[in-house]
Amino acid sequence: MSSSTRTLRRALTAATAVLAATALAAGCASKTEEGGGGGEKGAGDEFVIGYSQANNAEPYRAQLNKQLEHYVKDYPNLKLLPIADAQQDNAQQVSQIQQFVQQKVDILIVSPNEPAPVTPAVEQACAAGIPVIILDRTVDTDCYTSFIGGDNFEIGKKAGEAVVKELPDGGNVAELRGLLSTEPQKQRHDGFMEAIGENPGIKVVEEREGKWLQPEGTKIMQQWLARGTDIDLVYAHNDPMAIGAQQAAKAAGKDEIKFIGIDGLAIPDGGIRAVQQERMAYTYLYPTGAEEAAKTAADIAAGEKVEKKQTLGTVEITEANAEDVYAKYDMSGKVD
Amino acid sequence: MTKTQPDPAPAGGEGPDGTHGPGGPGGPDGTGAVSRARRILPVLGSLQAYIGLILIVAIGVITKGDVFLNQTNLTNAVGAFATRGILAVGVTLVILAAGIDLSVGSLMGFASMSAAIMVAHHDMPVWLIVPACMLIGAGFGLANGIGTAWLKIQSFVMTLAMMSIARGLDRKMSDNESVGTLVAGPDGELTENSESFQKLGTPDNNVLEGILGPDGIYFPVLAFLMVCVVFHLLLSRTTFGRHIYAVGGNPTAARLSGINVTFVIIAVFTLSGMLAGFAGPIDAAYSVSADPQAGYTYELDAIAAAVIGGASLAGGKGTIIGTFVGALILTLLDNVLGLNAVDDNWQLVIKGSIVVLAVVLQRPDLLQSIKNGIDRLRGGRSRTGPGRTPDKAQVPGPASAPASKETPR
Repeated sequence: MSSSTRTLRRALTAATAVLAATALAAGCASKTEEGGGGGEKGAGDEFVIGYSQANNAEPYRAQLNKQLEHYVKDYPNLKLLPIADAQQDNAQQVSQIQQFVQQKVDILIVSPNEPAPVTPAVEQACAAGIPVIILDRTVDTDCYTSFIGGDNFEIGKKAGEAVVKELPDGGNVAELRGLLSTEPQKQRHDGFMEAIGENPGIKVVEEREGKWLQPEGTKIMQQWLARGTDIDLVYAHNDPMAIGAQQAAKAAGKDEIKFIGIDGLAIPDGGIRAVQQERMAYTYLYPTGAEEAAKTAADIAAGEKVEKKQTLGTVEITEANAEDVYAKYDMSGKVD
Repeated sequence: MTKTQPDPAPAGGEGPDGTHGPGGPGGPDGTGAVSRARRILPVLGSLQAYIGLILIVAIGVITKGDVFLNQTNLTNAVGAFATRGILAVGVTLVILAAGIDLSVGSLMGFASMSAAIMVAHHDMPVWLIVPACMLIGAGFGLANGIGTAWLKIQSFVMTLAMMSIARGLDRKMSDNESVGTLVAGPDGELTENSESFQKLGTPDNNVLEGILGPDGIYFPVLAFLMVCVVFHLLLSRTTFGRHIYAVGGNPTAARLSGINVTFVIIAVFTLSGMLAGFAGPIDAAYSVSADPQAGYTYELDAIAAAVIGGASLAGGKGTIIGTFVGALILTLLDNVLGLNAVDDNWQLVIKGSIVVLAVVLQRPDLLQSIKNGIDRLRGGRSRTGPGRTPDKAQVPGPASAPASKETPR
C-alpha cells in the first residue's frame, strides 16, 4: 500500500519535472527565435531591446519606463521587450540580465539597483557581444557601450545657486535629505553646500534625513517649527519631501517659507504641478535619460559610434516654464 | 456581555488583561535602605507598566519643556503615528490569537491608493470612501483568515504572501504613480469632496469644532483613540474577546471547550484587515497623496508597538492599552529625538536602545527580581521573603482581572 503510493508519487514528481523542463525549453526557444535570429544584422532589421529596471515602484522610474516606451516608438526598427522589474532586488536583476543574454537580445539596457552586485551580469552580457546601455546608475566595469545619467551634484549646485539668488541678504535654510546611505543624496547635498558657500550669510539651521518620503517631510517640518527654528527656505532632496514639508508649514500658518525640490515629474501629483500651484518655488528636473537611451539604441542599431558617457543636464522649473516642461514630458495618452 | 464567568478555557493561565502584576509589597521586616526600597516599590509597581512612556515624556519635558509638552506638538506626534497605531490594534488581535499579520502595511497602502483614486478620479464623498476602504481591507483580511484557518497555512506565510499580493495590486492600480488628493475643480478651487477628504488628516484640518473644544480635534488622533477604546471594550467585555485570548492561549483546549476556533481566527484577521482599510484614507489625507509604496514596513512598527506594549508573540497575552502605550513610546521617542535635533544616525541607535530599556523596565517581574536581589544582598534571608502577598494585577487592562499566577521566569 505505502510502497505503491510512493511509486505513484515518484512517477508524478518525474512527470512534473519533465513537463517543467519542456515548458522551459519551449519558452526559451520561442523567445530566442523572436530575439536573436543570428548573424550580423543590417540597419533595416528589427533590433530587440531588453530593459532591466531596478524598481518599477518609484514614480521616477515608472515615468522613465513610460518615456522609454514612448521614445522607442520613434524608431521603427527597435522593439522593446516587456520591461523587467527587479523590485530593488540585486539577485533578481542579475537573473533578469542573464535571461536577456540567454534570449540573445540585440541591445541590453540596465538601470542598476546597486553597482557592485549587478556588475558581473553586465560583464556576461558584454562577453556575449551584446551592446549594453547603462541608464541612471553606474556599474563597476568599463565593459559597456554607453552610460547615460543625470548629474546630481550639478542639480544640487543649481538649487544652491537659486537659494543664493532668493536670499541675497542671507537667511536660514533647512535641508531635508534623502536616505543618507544613497549616492544621489550625498551629491545633491554636496553640490548644494558648495553653491550656498558663495554667501556666508546663508546658514543651514536644520538638517534631517527625510528618507525620500512625503509623510517624513511633514513630520520633520512640524518638529522644526515646534523647536521654534526660524526658517526662510526649505531645500528638499526630492519633491515629495518638499511637498510634505510645505503642507506642515501651511498648516502652521508659515506661508512665507519657500520650498525647493528635485525630480520635476510630469504627473498630476508631481513637482511641476506643485510649482504651478505655488506650493514650491523651484524644482529641478532629474532627467530620465529615456529619450537619449532610445536614440543611443537606434545609433547602435545603425552601426554608428556612440558616446561612452552621456551626462544629462537639468532644467530649472519655475512658474514661468512649468507648463511647457510639463507638456514636453507628460506621457499620459502617449503610451498605453 | 459583561464578564461574569471565568475563562472558558485555560488560556495559558492569563486573564483577559494579559498582564502579570508586579511584585507585591514585601513584609514589614527590614530596616534602612531595604525598608525604604520596600515602601517605594509598590508605588513604582502601579506605574511600572508605563515606565517606558513616563521615561520618554520626562526626557521630553526636561530637554524641551513647553516645546514638547504642548497640544500642537503632541497632536502632531500622535497624528504622525496614528495610522500605524491603528494597524497595531489590528495586529494585536491577531497576535493574541497566536498569529501574526505582516500584510497590514500593504493593505493600508492599497486602501490609501483606493481612497485617493476614489476622491481624485471618481469624486466620491468621504462618507462613502471610508466604509468602502474598510470593506476592501476586510476582504483582504478575510482571505488571510481563510488561508490560515481553513487552508492551514501558517499566518506568517499567508500574510507575507498577502503583503506581496496587495502591494502588487496597489502598484498595478496606480501604475506606480502617486495620486494626489487635492483635486481642483473647473473653477480652480478644491472640489467639495476633496475639501472634506482633507478632514481625515491633512495637517491643520480638525473635526468636531465646537463640540470637542473650540478647535475640535485632529481626526487621526481621534480615530486612533476611538479604535483603541472600541477594541479594548471588545477584548475585555465580550465573549468574543475572551475567546480570542482562549484561542491564543491554547487552541486545543479552546476547541474542546466549545469555542469555534476557525471562526475566531478568521474574525481576527478580518478585523485586522478592516482596520488597515480604515487607516488607508487617513494616510492618503495626511500626505495629501497616496504613494504606491505607502505603508512600506509599517507592519514592523505596528508589531513593535504591540510587543513593546506587552503582547506575547506566543499568543494569549497582551492588551490594547499596552499597544496604545507601545505606540506612544515609539512616536514620542521619535518626537523627542527630533525636537532635540539628534543626529539621524544616532537616532537609530538611541531608538533601538531605549526600546530595549523600556521593555526591560516594564517587565512585570522586574521589581520582584530587584527585591530578591536586595534580599540576597542582606544575606541569610529566604529568597521569597516572608509575608509576601500574592501578585495582583495593578497595571493596564481591566481592573476586574483575577489574580494571575506567579510570573514564570
